[in-house]
Amino acid sequence: MRFYAPFCLPFLIGVAVMFSLIVWKYVVWFAELPRADKKRVLYGIPTPRTLAAVWEVIRECLLHRRIFRVNPLLGYMHMSLAFGWFLLIVVGWTETVAYLGLHWVPLQGHVFFRYFAPPLMLRDKPFFDFTMDLLLLFVLSGVALAWLKRFWSRAMGMRRTTRHVPGDRIALSALWFIFPARLFAESITCGIYGMGGFLTGGLGALMASAFGRSTLVVFEQGAWWFYSIALGVFFVALPFSRYMHIFTEIPLIFLRRYGVRPHEKESSGDQFQIQACSRCGICIDPCQLQSVLGIDNVQSVYFLRDRRYGMLTRDVAQNCLMCGRCQVKCPVGIDLNTLRLNSRDTMRNTPDERRYEYFAGLDRSEGAGKVGYFAGCMTLLTPRTLSAMERIFAAAGEEVWWADRNGGVCCGRPLKLSGETDSARRMMEYNTQLFRRHGIRTLVTSCPICLKVFREEYRLDGIRVVHHSQYILEMIEQGRLRLGRGMATYTYHDPCELGRGSGIYEEPRRVIEAVGALLEPAHTREEALCCGSSVANTVISDADQVRIAESVAGELAATGADAIVTACPLCKKALVRGTSSVEVCDLSEIVAKNLR
Amino acid sequence: MAAMNFGFGINRPRVIDLDRNNLRKSDEILREMPELQTCIGCGACTALCTAGNLTSFNFRRVHTLVRRGEYEGAYEEMNKCMLCGKCRLACPRGINTRGVVMLIKRKLGDF
Amino acid sequence: MARRVIIVGGGVAGIQTALTLSQRGIPTLLLERESELGGKLTGWHKLFPSFTPAHEVLDELRQRLNGSGVEVRTQCEVCHVERSGVTLASGERLAADAVVVTTGFTLFDARVKEEYGYGIYDNVYTTADIERMLNEGRVAMRDGSAPRRIAFLHCVGSRDEKVCQHHCSKVCCITGVKQAMELKEMFPEADVFNFYMDIRMFGPGYEEMYRDAQQRLNIHFVRGRISEASPTLDGRVQIKAEDTLTGRPLKMSVDMLILIIGMRSNASNAVFAADAGLQCQPSGFLAPRDLFLHNTESNVGGIFYAGAVTAPKNIGESLSEAVVAADRVTEYLKRA
Repeated sequence: MRFYAPFCLPFLIGVAVMFSLIVWKYVVWFAELPRADKKRVLYGIPTPRTLAAVWEVIRECLLHRRIFRVNPLLGYMHMSLAFGWFLLIVVGWTETVAYLGLHWVPLQGHVFFRYFAPPLMLRDKPFFDFTMDLLLLFVLSGVALAWLKRFWSRAMGMRRTTRHVPGDRIALSALWFIFPARLFAESITCGIYGMGGFLTGGLGALMASAFGRSTLVVFEQGAWWFYSIALGVFFVALPFSRYMHIFTEIPLIFLRRYGVRPHEKESSGDQFQIQACSRCGICIDPCQLQSVLGIDNVQSVYFLRDRRYGMLTRDVAQNCLMCGRCQVKCPVGIDLNTLRLNSRDTMRNTPDERRYEYFAGLDRSEGAGKVGYFAGCMTLLTPRTLSAMERIFAAAGEEVWWADRNGGVCCGRPLKLSGETDSARRMMEYNTQLFRRHGIRTLVTSCPICLKVFREEYRLDGIRVVHHSQYILEMIEQGRLRLGRGMATYTYHDPCELGRGSGIYEEPRRVIEAVGALLEPAHTREEALCCGSSVANTVISDADQVRIAESVAGELAATGADAIVTACPLCKKALVRGTSSVEVCDLSEIVAKNLR
Repeated sequence: MAAMNFGFGINRPRVIDLDRNNLRKSDEILREMPELQTCIGCGACTALCTAGNLTSFNFRRVHTLVRRGEYEGAYEEMNKCMLCGKCRLACPRGINTRGVVMLIKRKLGDF
Repeated sequence: MARRVIIVGGGVAGIQTALTLSQRGIPTLLLERESELGGKLTGWHKLFPSFTPAHEVLDELRQRLNGSGVEVRTQCEVCHVERSGVTLASGERLAADAVVVTTGFTLFDARVKEEYGYGIYDNVYTTADIERMLNEGRVAMRDGSAPRRIAFLHCVGSRDEKVCQHHCSKVCCITGVKQAMELKEMFPEADVFNFYMDIRMFGPGYEEMYRDAQQRLNIHFVRGRISEASPTLDGRVQIKAEDTLTGRPLKMSVDMLILIIGMRSNASNAVFAADAGLQCQPSGFLAPRDLFLHNTESNVGGIFYAGAVTAPKNIGESLSEAVVAADRVTEYLKRA
């Protein structure tokens, strides 16, 4: 039997174009990966990580489990389209096999099977008729939700939905028409030949009785042409549109399992991340620049879009708090902060060997001890924290080496966050040598910004790096700090760099509970809000920072706590500006106050 | 080194000649960040500057000279900044000082 | 005409308004939150620029009030203000035909500017502390010894967007000069430094006083805002500023750091505004109808202002404004 009709051409061309483009892209990206990353992939393939990746592909690319967790309705929409379509292909293939046995059938034979099937008299396999119709209905329900989302995003539990580029619009329109077109094409053929399941058969019979079979015969070719064109257009547009994510998430999952991640410098591997973005727009709502300030063109989805199409502006790259609230919500798990960082690096990194020559021979540290304390630049402006730490160290009987109380070199993270990666490295080298020279075994810092860079970028083998919240908790647990528990209630603000940035959520809370009662605000832990004064953002104005701080402090004050506690000097400085009714203090202050 | 003599050499007193200085870049900078004009020169930024504590870097002076069209050496001077952000916490006018450093470097440098 | 006027706040503006109204035979009720009338002036030692003892002004006002027939209620906090009367914290409602709001201002809490170490280190004071110490007759460091080096810092909580106080508090420059002179005269051996961003000498005799401080008393004025303070081992305070006139960072250790604190608008302004539909300025001070012919009237008929409730003002200005307010109230009652 012949599986060819002229209307198949658009579809076939589309498929050919799409697959060659995708394969070409993947080959180029992989070839340009740094050697180390290629090695990671090769060594990773024969390990259980491959199986884990396969399982993750099923969970995420087909079932969209993570989107479900964030937004069930949106999850259903993605699942019905992806998993539904996938099942249509699989069951469709099984159907042809069931009818024809294991003979080779060309691609279009599977896809347009209903058109080629009448000679086979499909009536004798009602199971497939029913299943295929059910699946089509499943997909159509997803399409209906997609329409709804576009025109009324709030109904889908999203305040805002993504604005698109032209390639997206073409692909999107084609996608919207694919399944309705398929429904009509199949229904017409079923109507003419009196076959099909409850949906296509039912609609076919209805149309046949309404318009007459002869009318349907006239429209049949047209309907299949339309269906094929919709498919062809979608496939050609796909590699240029956000629908590239359908395929790209698969290699991304494998690469991630093998340990290939974005670095501080851009690499071709980033493309796997960037093009795996489905532009679902889930990252827009958590962004406080959007919800508080109404800035709506810098969110991760737009950043990735602009970077992908080579139209990234400085403003979009720089205008981000890097709080990570979007990253924890991203259903594809894209490493949004790192990608933004390496874009900034590309835009701004201009190595200048002489620029920090004045570090030579510098050492303003004082004291001696196995424990070093690095206050951080910001902590020098919150002396209450500094003097509280002094009292805590004294109470714990700790000999302390003070790294920067009389001024020192910045940890390097603020500069790195602005994109001047290589210069930041020079600060890191200076501080590393300073720490080593003084022989400390533990490095305590009060600033989560410093903490993150010490933990992630410094090579401090043999020196344990802890945040003061961790240090205080250890001292309490070892019985070296004895605290009195008062009646006061506290609410805790998770600093971004400490919580989402370094995964430290428990320690500060346990310290607070050692001195009083803890009340959680509406957004807490991974969901915690950003104070708005993040050093990662060099664009928003002072007044904007205050507006964000007011919204955050308002939420914290709404707990009714006696004081707002945080564990970051910058958050503290920011929140003080956001409230005039509640006291804002650092964790160390309430500990020092309750020392016995 | 002319670049290192940026306004600090007391041996080379020199008039800021606004008839001659080309204010085009200065205007561009102020157009992008008008709030820089609100600086009242209180020096709080410079007093607590992490870099200024360790070397002869004076943020207030550099950006003021740039606003007067004195660009020579300004890029190299601004490069001493560590961008730690302390000054932004002190500025009573709420100037986005880190943004100013980046802007001046961008306008006077090569990126 | 037996209509009653309620005056909220018994500082100088409130007392003067009450006095003027009662002179015109209008029954007046003066409400004061504290146990004593006088407002902020009760804590002040001497007044600029003439070094007149604050109590002289207050005593005379109180004396005149005693014979005036004004009904005074102290320890009476007003929670809500409407054109028809006020509600007290006790829940009691007092009816009135007109209300004059003379609640003044709140002193800026210097602890908010944590980097200056107020409430953290010894020997960091505010101007209010110094007035109190002057009243007590003994200015000294925490350990009781006489200071030999004193630094004043201007504009703490004024013109500072970092504490959301954009406005100039107007009277602190001259207060700083006055206290510097008082301390210098008390401790002639001491060096006194005033760190300022701008010196604004707006009143009669102020500029002369500033010059006197510089020339006669050798008080040093350094143009630069202190940005950080830290304790030294011997209990003094080390401060850092930029000497902006030489363009170089400056640091010094002082025995006393005195923060010249500004005026903050009262938190109650927003409550009153919400109650009665009054307008607030962005600074939080209540907004008069205009700054010229209606500067003591609110945007709501029957509610009037006098003194620092609408903007930072000195004593003289508050007193004059009180008379104008009383005049406007009288006119209003005649019309109504």
